[in-house]
Amino acid sequence: MDSADLSTRLTSLDPAVGLRAVGALHRLAEQVEASSVARARAQGWSWEQIGDALGVSRQSVHAKHGK
Amino acid sequence: MFEQFAGETRAAVSDALEEARLRGDRRIGTEHLLLGALSHQPAAAAGTGLGVDAGAVRDALRELDTEALTAVGVDARGVDRPPIPASRKRTPFTSSAKSVLGGALAEVRREGARRITPAHLLIALLETKEPDPAADVLTRLGVDRAAARERLRRAA
Repeated sequence: MDSADLSTRLTSLDPAVGLRAVGALHRLAEQVEASSVARARAQGWSWEQIGDALGVSRQSVHAKHGK
Repeated sequence: MFEQFAGETRAAVSDALEEARLRGDRRIGTEHLLLGALSHQPAAAAGTGLGVDAGAVRDALRELDTEALTAVGVDARGVDRPPIPASRKRTPFTSSAKSVLGGALAEVRREGARRITPAHLLIALLETKEPDPAADVLTRLGVDRAAARERLRRAA
């Protein structure tokens, strides 16, 4: 699908589907974050490097994902 | 309200929290309460409730998400989707999940019962209207709400 197709599709999208998609994207983002942080730690990334990659502080990423 | 919960209802609510983590949600919604309540109905009530089990609800929720993502051009099939870490703070209920808890309490009063059971939660969940997440999934699964409510009340 090219970007013109997608933008036509988004402007004609039923808001119920659009809002459900946003919820689904949040869930997907949380899950991709959880699995990626676990793999980054296993490969030796520091909390600071992971925080920088996610655009949040070392403390907040550690509070969320640290054991 | 929580002190009036029967043991299975407490277990249903803590399962709802677990279902939220499994799905990647940071609040407990009506769809998670539905999954928790279905998992803690007494085995004897299996055929007397909604006519669907927790597995069917999980599958339908996943399908609804996949369809919505496809509608915005996102294909997440095959992506590793582990449970998200438990929050250190208390996980809040969504506002519709709070109304369902209130509705379960109203059902208990109507019956003159003393304890809130998973069946009371299910009766309150049947009252939700789309686009509430539990209502969406009940519709997707073709649950006959009036018939299910009758069966649950008769079994009480």
